[in-house]
Amino acid sequence: MQLRRMMAFLGVAGVSSLLAVGVLPLFGQQRPAAASPFPAQYRAPRLADGHPDLNGIWQALVTANWDLQDHEAQAGPHSELTGAYGAGPAGQSIVDGGEIPYKPEALARKKANFENRLRVDVSSDKTWHALGDPEMKCYMPGVPRANYMPFPFQIVQGTSASILMAYEFSSATRIIRMNWEQAAPTDSWMGWSRGRWEGDTLVVDVTGQREETWFDRAGDFHSDALHVVERYTPISPYHMMYEATIEDANVFTRPWKISFPLYRRMEKNIQLLEFKCVPFTEELLFGKFRKQAAR
Amino acid sequence: MPTRRSSVAVAGLLALMVAAPALSHHAFNAEFDANKPIKFKGTVTKMLWVNPHAWIYLDVKNPDGTVEEWMIETGTPNTLIRRGLTKESLPKGTEIIVDGYQSKDGSHRANGRDLTLPNGQTLFLGSSGTGAPYDKK
Amino acid sequence: MRYRYIAFAAVFALVVATGLVVPVAGQGAKKYNAPKTPWGDPDLQGVWNDATSTPLQRPGNVAEKGTLSDEEAEEFQKSLAFDLSRDRRDGGSAADVNRAYNEHWMDARRLKITADRRTSLIVDPVDGRIPPLVTPSPERQRMRAARADAAARFAAGLPADFTDMSWPVRCVVRTDVPPYLPTIYNNNFQIFQSPGYVTIAPEMIHSARIIPVDGRPHLNKGLRQWLGDTRGHWEGSTLVIETTNFRADDGVLFQNANPATFTITERFTRVAPDAINYEFTVADPTTWAKPWTALIPWNKVDPAEQMFEYACHEDNFDIVHFLTGARLREKNGETVGQRPARAAEER
Repeated sequence: MQLRRMMAFLGVAGVSSLLAVGVLPLFGQQRPAAASPFPAQYRAPRLADGHPDLNGIWQALVTANWDLQDHEAQAGPHSELTGAYGAGPAGQSIVDGGEIPYKPEALARKKANFENRLRVDVSSDKTWHALGDPEMKCYMPGVPRANYMPFPFQIVQGTSASILMAYEFSSATRIIRMNWEQAAPTDSWMGWSRGRWEGDTLVVDVTGQREETWFDRAGDFHSDALHVVERYTPISPYHMMYEATIEDANVFTRPWKISFPLYRRMEKNIQLLEFKCVPFTEELLFGKFRKQAAR
Repeated sequence: MPTRRSSVAVAGLLALMVAAPALSHHAFNAEFDANKPIKFKGTVTKMLWVNPHAWIYLDVKNPDGTVEEWMIETGTPNTLIRRGLTKESLPKGTEIIVDGYQSKDGSHRANGRDLTLPNGQTLFLGSSGTGAPYDKK
Repeated sequence: MRYRYIAFAAVFALVVATGLVVPVAGQGAKKYNAPKTPWGDPDLQGVWNDATSTPLQRPGNVAEKGTLSDEEAEEFQKSLAFDLSRDRRDGGSAADVNRAYNEHWMDARRLKITADRRTSLIVDPVDGRIPPLVTPSPERQRMRAARADAAARFAAGLPADFTDMSWPVRCVVRTDVPPYLPTIYNNNFQIFQSPGYVTIAPEMIHSARIIPVDGRPHLNKGLRQWLGDTRGHWEGSTLVIETTNFRADDGVLFQNANPATFTITERFTRVAPDAINYEFTVADPTTWAKPWTALIPWNKVDPAEQMFEYACHEDNFDIVHFLTGARLREKNGETVGQRPARAAEER
């Protein structure tokens, strides 16, 4: 009798401990997650230098490019012409805690961004960037937005002192300089990325981003003081966990975090294709300066 | 290539135009007027370190005391960065001399053909940068 | 200028007359054992620069291929550097405007001839010149004429709309379309390698040419790209890459070759710790009478020197300057015919 009770107890304890491992809050979620399908300590294959091999083509499935925070389905631009084409799906926030901690005055600017997201006016150099979602204009998306665009990207990791990340959207690229001290000599659209390993996590410090990029189509924005720290952690042969801590004292009251999984594209012979979107934007941006036919 | 007698200089340049598409990507005299040379002194208000052209914004004082804003088109900032310069290399308030050509449409825009400091020193060459490659790993 | 040409031509004729023909440094010429990556591929990694003053085509009118002696090479280099220098202000204001800026905005390495002292980058045909052009079909002639009209409008500073501008001006492609040719600045390429791939990242315009070397087939014909689709394989220590699937747009390929019939093979061989030989062969029976090949050395960049982002479309204010300026001048009665349009062939 005692043995059976003992075994039952051990059985329960065993299952509980398995569940405890499963519900270990790996990614800072607010509510306890269901048991994780991933082994708690996945060990990725190694490259010759002993670091995890992150090579491959990856893509996010979250809808954060529409809106980092909770969002309902929405009609697309000019739905009177396009119906359900281009409409936006619903999605849950990828922001830790749900909300982006804007300073009150910055929230007004976000609202203005959203209202003007479909407008452009490039007639003056000085106001060239004032209106419109930069994604719509085919400007490089910056970090972290590039990682949750609905396009794949490829990590090229070898034995050089840098890792290349190549994005299908606009053929954007960024070079992750490993163990690099030099700061950004000037601002750039994809930022200045310096990487290092912390165990099996690739940590990337991103500074020097152009202030004109947005985080999403909802108008979430930042200033030129933006500082992003990314963490890429392989958690299975087919998944990599992505976290980014975002800091900008001009716009937010405190640093905040986003996270979501990246999925390995498994199609046979998958490769990045081209999405050179400049030609898709020229009529929008420059059409109004065309020579009008003489009457 | 035509076989007429031309100097090496011209032949070389023509050959190079075939070899160097970026040279012909932007025929500067399509935008700036060879018949409207300008040369004046101005005070830098800002510099945009952007591609494909960096831009220097200048306040230029007219003889009558009024101030005009001019936009000076220059080259790719990447080359300057490789010479050790940064966006701090041309601070606001610096006086520079622009010797260039005005935009064909008469606007206050010019090609920064030759940029110098008032003392005659070429801008960006050995003034603030060391000229050495950016070398802090 | 004329005197300088005569002096040069005399030297050159002497070189030819003495039958001084030196084999061009090519894949087999140097015995350098390139290091290998841990997975066994020859290591081409690093940041490389291809700037040079050596012209694509041999100047003058000489049929023999050749390289120059030390003295001749020095004279050749000086002569080219003088032609190319942006600090000279002579030659009239039209030439002056087109030099654009001071020399420090340019890549100083473009004033140096190649280390092997060839007189052209083209190594085949032996006369160092692009083969004769083939008469284009009527359809291509129409396209060519349309583009020439657009170029004339652009050169006069009166483009009708953005389509009158070339693809590089529109920041769609620049020096990233193969074959890679030296230009005035940002002549940099970073090569990354990973198991099964070689990746070439050109500086202008940002992009990554991620090349599988595992033998997989090209994309199907229906998938065309601005930079085509590239597959590579190793031949000894040479990376050989073939590119197909170019889009049908006119005016993208070198000398406006026909994307439907254009083929290109490129070869990369590490010939020294700090040098790669980049060789390309292009063929297009509807554009050139025969294929031709050029060899361009890629020199390793000082480790402290790096690639930097070249965003183009994002701040391409000139598109608007051109168009709004044109509209204003048209309002003032200007027309294309009013100014002599330059005959310069847009890319």
